[in-house]
Amino acid sequence: MEKILVVLFTQEDGSLGRTAFEATGAALGLAKELDGASVTIGIAGTSIQEAANALAGSGAEKILGAEAAELAQPRYATDAAAAEALAKAAGATIIVAPGTSRWNRIAAGVAHRLGGRADTHATSLAVHEGAPTITRWYYRQRMVAKLSRTNRPWVVSLDPGAVPAWSGEPSQATVEKVALSMPETAARTEVIGVEAPEAGAQTIRPEAETLLVTGAGWTKKQADGQIHLKEAEAAIMDFLRQTKASLGSSKSLVDQEGEGQAVLPFLTHMNQIGQTGSTPRHAKGLATCCHGEEPHVVGWRFITERRAVNLDANCGWAQGKADVLYVADAFEVMKKLNDLLAEKAPATPES
Amino acid sequence: MTQDTTSGQPEVDRQSMEVDIACVGFGPAMGGFLTTLSRGLLNEDGTPAAESKTMPGMPPQVICYERADDIAFGVSGVVTKARAIRETFPDLDPADIPMTHPVTEERLLYLLDPVGASRRPATVKAADAVIKALRWMLPVRDQALRIPFIPGFMKKHDGLLTSIGQFNQWVGNQLMASGTVQIWPSSPVSGPLMENGRVTGVRLADQGVERSGEPQPGYMPGMDIKAALTVIGDGPAGPVGRILDEKLGLPEGNHQHDFAVGMKVVVELPEGCELKPGTVFHTLGYPEPEIFGFLYVYPDGLASAGVFVPSWFDSPVRSTYRYMQHWMQHPAIWKHLNGGTIRSWGAKTLQESGRRGEPHLVGDGFARIGEGSGTTNVLTNSGVDEAWLSGTLLAEGVLELLKSGEEFTKANLEKAYVRRRRESWLDKDSRKAEKARDGFQRGFVRGMIGMALAGFTRGRLSLSGDGRTPYERVPTLEQFLKGRLTPQEVEKLRTEAHAKGRTLHDSIMELLGWPKIEYDGKLLLSHQDALLVGGKVQAPPGYADHVVFLYPHLCEECGTKVCAEMCSAEAISVNPEGEVPLFDREKCIHCGACFWNCAKHLQDDPERGAIAFRAGAGGLHSAEN
Amino acid sequence: MAGSLQIVVCGGIVPNPLQTLEPTAGPQGPALKNEAMLPAVLDPWAWHALFEAANLAKQAPGSKITLVCMAPKAKLQQVMMTIAQKTVFELQPIDGPASGFVESADVAGELAEVIKGINGLDMQKLLVFGGWESASRGAGTTMQILGEMLGITDQFQGVDEIRLKDDGSFDVLERIEGGKHQVSRCAGAPAVLGWATGNLPEPPNNPQAGMANMRGIMPALQKARPAKPGQDGVKFLDVSLPSQRRETRVVKDTPAEEIARELAEWITG
Repeated sequence: MEKILVVLFTQEDGSLGRTAFEATGAALGLAKELDGASVTIGIAGTSIQEAANALAGSGAEKILGAEAAELAQPRYATDAAAAEALAKAAGATIIVAPGTSRWNRIAAGVAHRLGGRADTHATSLAVHEGAPTITRWYYRQRMVAKLSRTNRPWVVSLDPGAVPAWSGEPSQATVEKVALSMPETAARTEVIGVEAPEAGAQTIRPEAETLLVTGAGWTKKQADGQIHLKEAEAAIMDFLRQTKASLGSSKSLVDQEGEGQAVLPFLTHMNQIGQTGSTPRHAKGLATCCHGEEPHVVGWRFITERRAVNLDANCGWAQGKADVLYVADAFEVMKKLNDLLAEKAPATPES
Repeated sequence: MTQDTTSGQPEVDRQSMEVDIACVGFGPAMGGFLTTLSRGLLNEDGTPAAESKTMPGMPPQVICYERADDIAFGVSGVVTKARAIRETFPDLDPADIPMTHPVTEERLLYLLDPVGASRRPATVKAADAVIKALRWMLPVRDQALRIPFIPGFMKKHDGLLTSIGQFNQWVGNQLMASGTVQIWPSSPVSGPLMENGRVTGVRLADQGVERSGEPQPGYMPGMDIKAALTVIGDGPAGPVGRILDEKLGLPEGNHQHDFAVGMKVVVELPEGCELKPGTVFHTLGYPEPEIFGFLYVYPDGLASAGVFVPSWFDSPVRSTYRYMQHWMQHPAIWKHLNGGTIRSWGAKTLQESGRRGEPHLVGDGFARIGEGSGTTNVLTNSGVDEAWLSGTLLAEGVLELLKSGEEFTKANLEKAYVRRRRESWLDKDSRKAEKARDGFQRGFVRGMIGMALAGFTRGRLSLSGDGRTPYERVPTLEQFLKGRLTPQEVEKLRTEAHAKGRTLHDSIMELLGWPKIEYDGKLLLSHQDALLVGGKVQAPPGYADHVVFLYPHLCEECGTKVCAEMCSAEAISVNPEGEVPLFDREKCIHCGACFWNCAKHLQDDPERGAIAFRAGAGGLHSAEN
Repeated sequence: MAGSLQIVVCGGIVPNPLQTLEPTAGPQGPALKNEAMLPAVLDPWAWHALFEAANLAKQAPGSKITLVCMAPKAKLQQVMMTIAQKTVFELQPIDGPASGFVESADVAGELAEVIKGINGLDMQKLLVFGGWESASRGAGTTMQILGEMLGITDQFQGVDEIRLKDDGSFDVLERIEGGKHQVSRCAGAPAVLGWATGNLPEPPNNPQAGMANMRGIMPALQKARPAKPGQDGVKFLDVSLPSQRRETRVVKDTPAEEIARELAEWITG
């Protein structure tokens, strides 16, 4: 009989992030498929009642709470102590967690303390022949594996956006408090703030979530007969700044430098992907203004989710290669997209 | 003091380091040299057999610099008698080296032309007609005549099939484990250091520079590695060997005018393929009479297959890749490959002048080994074993000099190395082979007869050639297409392709009757896709371009752009904005075909074309080659 | 000037990322087809960790860098040829598999044993560096378990920068959501830092560093500690290559606002 525990950290304002609801949804779904399994929700934070209320209608057997002032800061020592205490209190055999930076910092350490094992970056949680099973990638998203474990407890952190979120109305929840004792060494590390990276300092980020591919269309004449380099630069750099995406370029765009044509100053051959450039690996790729030559397309063969914005419906970057092709003016779409991203930007790190 | 490298590096203060022996290029010759040397540097009790002059009390310090990003660099089908290799490793078990197997069966196939596009001279056409007419009594199947006997000089029976990449890794790992020598990949050597005619070491390539060689922030001038002995084994396209050749000239009567590009794919054979590991096919006759092919079957359902396009194939549109695709589709080959998948791909230049191309083997402070030193036997089509032997012979001589405390002077190296080489089977066999291929310079049939003559008379008889350089051989497009297209039509074709930045070989070959290649995504891939099968070239940033078009005026006069047509990796492309081709080092596999294919030459130096092929880092495509 | 540090960099090796990879069934579970034949490199993030260690060592004179590496000995030796010209370090090799399918907890156990056995180990000076994830397992779990085994609870993952202060304390920038960095101040060693790419360029090859390193590396490799980490408790049901062909949904005649909204959701999702 599996005892499934969802462990969640509250955000700074006491609420839960979207990934918390995804993890809850995944745990509830798993329990449904497993004979006799139960779900407990454990919430850690400085004050957790509001978060507990948000999940009161989930049908979880109980909600455990671990509260401490130290949990205001995402920090290994204190977060791990809280997760460990919750897991022990629940007697959990499977611990489901959202794959946030906060959880991924502690997942394996917590599993080790509990005598179990952890798997991170899971993209699904299901049941196969009566056993809980996850899907996850190996070798930088070049192989996908389905696996189960006999090790318990088993900590599974789910990649954000990989599973549907549970949704339900909040109501007053009963929380069973778990006593916490923070390690003496906890005070050795103090979170002193958050820094946004310098804009434009680095455009190639191999480990970024998203790759923005820019094509030669950005420097071509637009509908008004003019070239709009400044607007192109602003749209691209704004997107990179907001998403910390990596910047890739088609060969035709970077080659323009040597051909005396209008150029985007921040692009070099280092940015080039495909054909003679790199074949980077990112979870998401957005191709803009790229017009398709088959060799270029290999540049994003290791991009997991791919979308393209192009005025040409037959864009070779997209047909059969992208999941979605938006036939539209990339200048207009990117500007609006940047505005939306600015609105959405979280004030504090997601917890 | 006069120091000289010719790669245009800025004159700045450079760090230097002293070692006893500096080596350039890690291939089979260097493998042979370092293996034999490393075994002799220490006594059985672990004490140094000779003392280092740079680190007293220690054994001599030996460092080898390799340009590629791993020691697995190298491209070769490698079927070898392995005489010298087995002498070094008497207990060699082929199973210890991946993709290695004893030769079990050899077939020699004369391929008929199933598509009718091959440029066959009348004599060949007549021979084809006879073969077809007598097919009921000859071993003709799948448009190929299986020649019932393989001349003894070509046989590789009891030899080995291997992958040079895997073999180099195997050798290199044993060397490194010995702890007596060091091998450093990713370390291009820009040229030799010379003082008053004596080689005093090597200079490493500058790091932290633009493509043009201009220093960037983070500039690190290439270090000077001073050494009493410099061993050069950087192959037929290596910059150090070629700079020395330019400075010292070749011994009188020698030339390096004969080259070939060898290109191959490693194929996963289809399930149920009947070919057994150790099987070797040699083919001739198709796609063009001058183009030879090979198929070697490895264990685990793998095979190496490819072609050689020689410098005496007089066509300005010689795309090795395209010809290889036609060769693969010949019924006698396709029946074995069909259903399989390409695993990796590679190409290299072969120095086909053999002994005729031998440079000065030694001088004060230096010695040459391997293919760049003229070891390839052009009669037996063998190079790896010969290269290996040249290395072991040098090592024996060097150990002798080290132990007797003698200097690495030209005279001492002559005595210790050149004498050994002259007395070995390497030199004896290469003398027999010296003129074996000359006949090909005047045509395929004459070439075959000349080769047979030389082979069966052990080099006493041969047919002469004309010794022309590749640029003298390359006809203009107008000459090549005479009778098919008017000069105006040729110009139109050229202008259209140029505007699109495209090479001409595909359209011209199709014009000449070669069928379009129908890509299947498994065995027949676009050239660009082949670059991404099994690997991809990496060109580390911070190094200068190693292919440089030195004389724009020569490129402007050039109507054929053979460099771009023949470029094995499409790294050189036609420049739609001008006449000087473009070079993209992130595609270059360092085969070196460009520098010897150049259709132009300097007025005052008939041995030099418009392209400099310099030291560059990277270029490893696949370790399976 | 900060006092000297003892920086241990942990890193495995992975096939050169440009090589074609395929899974195959090995005797102990999934494995990489032809793994022994593929050229290998030091795991990219561990590679960055090594540069960062070299940079940090310059700021804290007297510091020593130890590289602890688990991989098949022959492959490890080959990889050393490409990294040993970068900076001076001492190698502590472990002769074991480099496969991403091996359990990270077992790998951490091997690393911990080697680190505990380092001559003159001073926990008060110890910084354990590694990649925040490997390019093989891609889990980001080994370093945490290693930290636990060494009793270190000041742990940081996705680190892009360390700012060392004269009193031995340091600030660490860790990657968090939204393309931002969380800045933490740590009182000092011991600590575990799992590095992302950091900000340092790859150092040029320095032949003198290579010479110095090789004298220690070869004898160390000969004495490499054998290890047999496994896949106990894991059952792989399937390991496969992702499908390359896609059904493309074409969105036409849709206002830019709507497209932007869909994209924004996708990107931040």
